[in-house]
Amino acid sequence: MRVSLEWLGEFVDLGDLPPSQIAEQLTVSGTEVERTFPFAGGLDQVVVAEVVELGRLEGSDHLWMTKVRVPGQEPVEVVCGAPNLHLGAVIAWARPGTELPGGLKLGQRRIRGALSNGMICAPDELGLGTDHEGVLLLPEGEAEPGTPLSQLFPSDTILELEILSNRADCLSHWGVARELSALFRRPLHEPQTEALSRSGPPTQEAVSVRVEATEDCPIYLAECIDQLGSKPAPLWLQRRLMAVGSRSISAVVDLANYVMLEVGQPVHTFDLDRLPGGPGQIEIGVRHGRSGEHLACLDGETRPVEDALVITAAKQPVALAGIIGGSATAVQPSTTRIILEVASFNWISIRRSTRRLGIRTEASSRYERDLAPALVTAGAQRFVHLVEQVTGGRVRPGAVVDGGLPRAADPIRVSARSVSGLLGAEVDAQTAAEALQLLDFEVEIAGEDLSVQPPPSRTDVRIPVDVTEEVGRILGYDSLPSTLPPLTKPPSGSPGLVRAERLAGQICIGAGFTEAITSSLVGKEQVRVSPGLAPDIVPLSLSNPLSSQLAELRVSCLPGLLQACQLNQSRGKERIRLFEWGRVFRPSPDGAGRPEEPEVLSLVDNFWGTESLLPDMALNSLLGVVQALADGVGLVEIEFRPAPHPGFHRQRCSEVWVAGECRGVLGELVAAEGPEVELRGTTVAAELSVDGWLVDGGRPGRGVRLAKTPALSLDLAVTVPERAELGGAVSAVRALGIDELEEVRLVDLYRGKQLPEGKKGWTFRLTFRHPVRTLTHREGDQLRARVLKALATLNAVVRGGSE
Amino acid sequence: MTEGDLQALGEQALEEIAGAVDQDQLEQVRLRYLGRHGGLISSGAQALAQAPQDQRAGLGRAFNSAKQATEAALERRLGELRASRREADQADEWLDLSYPRSPLARGHQHPVARLIREIEDIGRALGYESVRGPEVEDDQFNFELLNLPPAHPARDTHDTFYLEGPAQGWLLRTHTSPVQLRTMMAGPPPYRILAPGRVYRRDNPDPTHNPMFHQVEGLCVDEGVTLADLKGTLIYFAQAIFGKERKVRLRSSYFSFTEPSLEADVSCWFCNGEGCRSCLGKGWIEILGSGMVHPNVLRNAGVDLERYSGFAFGMGPDRIAALKYGLEDIRDLYENDLRLLSNF
Repeated sequence: MRVSLEWLGEFVDLGDLPPSQIAEQLTVSGTEVERTFPFAGGLDQVVVAEVVELGRLEGSDHLWMTKVRVPGQEPVEVVCGAPNLHLGAVIAWARPGTELPGGLKLGQRRIRGALSNGMICAPDELGLGTDHEGVLLLPEGEAEPGTPLSQLFPSDTILELEILSNRADCLSHWGVARELSALFRRPLHEPQTEALSRSGPPTQEAVSVRVEATEDCPIYLAECIDQLGSKPAPLWLQRRLMAVGSRSISAVVDLANYVMLEVGQPVHTFDLDRLPGGPGQIEIGVRHGRSGEHLACLDGETRPVEDALVITAAKQPVALAGIIGGSATAVQPSTTRIILEVASFNWISIRRSTRRLGIRTEASSRYERDLAPALVTAGAQRFVHLVEQVTGGRVRPGAVVDGGLPRAADPIRVSARSVSGLLGAEVDAQTAAEALQLLDFEVEIAGEDLSVQPPPSRTDVRIPVDVTEEVGRILGYDSLPSTLPPLTKPPSGSPGLVRAERLAGQICIGAGFTEAITSSLVGKEQVRVSPGLAPDIVPLSLSNPLSSQLAELRVSCLPGLLQACQLNQSRGKERIRLFEWGRVFRPSPDGAGRPEEPEVLSLVDNFWGTESLLPDMALNSLLGVVQALADGVGLVEIEFRPAPHPGFHRQRCSEVWVAGECRGVLGELVAAEGPEVELRGTTVAAELSVDGWLVDGGRPGRGVRLAKTPALSLDLAVTVPERAELGGAVSAVRALGIDELEEVRLVDLYRGKQLPEGKKGWTFRLTFRHPVRTLTHREGDQLRARVLKALATLNAVVRGGSE
Repeated sequence: MTEGDLQALGEQALEEIAGAVDQDQLEQVRLRYLGRHGGLISSGAQALAQAPQDQRAGLGRAFNSAKQATEAALERRLGELRASRREADQADEWLDLSYPRSPLARGHQHPVARLIREIEDIGRALGYESVRGPEVEDDQFNFELLNLPPAHPARDTHDTFYLEGPAQGWLLRTHTSPVQLRTMMAGPPPYRILAPGRVYRRDNPDPTHNPMFHQVEGLCVDEGVTLADLKGTLIYFAQAIFGKERKVRLRSSYFSFTEPSLEADVSCWFCNGEGCRSCLGKGWIEILGSGMVHPNVLRNAGVDLERYSGFAFGMGPDRIAALKYGLEDIRDLYENDLRLLSNF
């Protein structure tokens, strides 16, 4: 919302304050100033002139050749293309030599052979808003030709404000002025509303009001104004509207806008003679729209009004209450009599309608907040006060009202001690009361206690802490001390999940994997590319997705990681290693309950074009990472069990087992099918569920006695069948339970001509150590023989020597 | 051989040692003077044996000093020659240190995850425990218990994704504030937590919006916690994240779940508060929303209002990361392009 400092000056004297200080104070107090900019500065050289001759420029169908006159000077020729020019128009003329606020310097120009002197200016060219639909037309009789334009448009400063959603009272100049009056400790002047002489037949002869939907419309006030003239609104009013970015339309419409922008109460005007049910008394009603009812609105659209709050005349909808009027009853240039509507509508009802109909207007944006019903009185009084001056109209005696203002809420009781306690600064009752009184609150002090009545326009102050906020805001948070709360309980540290996530991240990063954050929302096809640990899960889907690409909740991090691989590949990366620790989502096992969202750790390694890297090597290093996670985070024994898994290569795929439970899957991904992911090269991937082993899992560390005796290392070379599994062999050796066997390690894998078809050779290095004495070679040989015996059960035959 | 001869021999040896240009020459010199057989100085030992008794002491001293001086000089010169040899050898070699690093270089943290960890570390120093909460919530926890009844205007900014099918009635949380409730409902005060996590809003993606982003929620509830405590905490966090030299400004604001409510701005680090494109000319960058926990929220969570008070605050690490690291488009954070990620 925009406010003009000149307009605000009507209610609070700000003259000597620099706009930057006003903006800063407003911002800090909650009314954020988004932008400050000048309006109508530097118009000394532009002068008011009269169009005394008007004709088409020869050879043009849209350009005018005009003569404009300034008193005491000969008329001067100006070429102009504005559609709204007419003979006798009073306009703003920038004569040759003038520099306009935008920096444009004017001179004499030749246009289609004719000499044009300076320019007849449009509002935007004068820094008076953005309107460029025609030239600025000044109300005749109000603007004397020859006057510098700066006298009619003194320079002003406009603030663009962001009003907090609970501060409906600030959606007006008056409301903002109240804030400023409190912030700068300056008196607030109420809008002038002294009684006006009403005349003619009573209003009730022209209109009756019956609110059926009393819940949604607590009060509806109607006035009847007739004998309207056809003159435009006076310049001061037009200027203020222009200053805040509103266009002048006609005196009546301008006044309605003016009142809304000034006191915050939207008002609506109907052309009395166009309302259904006339002549005679018009029956205005307020009810909910019915099925099949439509309204042709002012903006040219016809909308269904079912369930929306509508204003009716003779039972027909004539306006969407609080949102937009109907075109059939709109005020026109020829209108001579109007019904003025000033009403309060339930904000929830208005919100529902604007959401459903997808429409937002200046009026609705106010009504959909909790606008105080009390503003109805202020709005009506202000309109009535100004209407004769602005439109020449005459107000009939006796407003017609249905409903009434709600009873004022009980005063809020708050103690100075609780205010001080919450703010953390000593505030005595007197100080608190003074801060509140600056905001127009009525305050009674009884010792420590305050009894507080907010002004009727403030609907946001209801409970003691609301009052505390007002006190704090006005005293200024700047003046508050800055402290830290004492720690009264020892911090409990962070849960295992958080620690495990960090530790796992460090291991993955150390192993060359980069952390990714991929979308939890995925496309339907994408989900199926690689379901990770959850091949059988039916993904949860959104009822209102933004697109089909973001329609389902992921069941695995792998599709997102693969998509990231693809992106990196398309940008020229040849090896992409990514990991993500994140949530995946599954329906609740019992159907309708809370969906599950376990955390998983997923890794992918994609490479192409690098011939030195083989799938086996990548897979091996991935196995190494998972082993490192088990050793470094989970502190558990894990087992890799070859097993096929959807999305993975049949042979190059393993499950990760921990304490009898499958906790992960790892392997080479088969070429992804479908349009979702087209990934070149080889991809190996792992997905691990983190619960039960990486998080809060495993054994605590343990110490060992460090023997000082020398180790005895012996090699053992055996021939085994091609498909013999190393893990099984090592387990068999371990199962011997030889205390002295410190380590068994494969040091060579051999395939070649020396071995029969279908065989491979393994060389193990066995490290033995006795805790207290040196082992002899004889003892070593005996131990090696035991190992060989165990291996023999797996069809291992000793190779080479005579042993 | 006289004392003088021995002395002269010693000096001659020192000269030759100094003149040796490589280890071979030096070895020749050593053999010539100290060689067991025929070394000039070694032969002095024979002279010593044959010398008359009264000269022996003097000759012996001269012999020892010549020998020691020669040995010391040899060792020193050997060290020098070795060093210069090493230098010469190394000068022949060349290593291109600008060569690309080993492809086994470490991976990188995601900037948003890194920032979240940084914030958690900052909080831990003040006793804030890191906790997590569910991303799938219901209307009660995401809205109603947080003092956001249906049709509340503040819901406008929380355009929500809803689940369908068997999970109908569930939604994706639009903020991390439900974790406040879950923490308070799980046990008695005091509470001091940070809850980072993903949140979702049905905003069309653009340079400053993504339907999925992150928040970090902070909550501190105890006896006698005040707005001044909140102020101190916000300044601490803001300066810890953005630097001690940053100014912090508190602005009155409105959130349904806090009262009073505050927003914290830090002075723009691009222009130092002068006003620039990054701060939209304001000189300040908004980074934190906060306030004293609304009595309705405390009541809904079963906290004794008479005894306890507290504050909550929240920030958006994605936006902060984009600002802090100068990203033009927040969506770049979710592409996982290694060219970006490898800078963290």
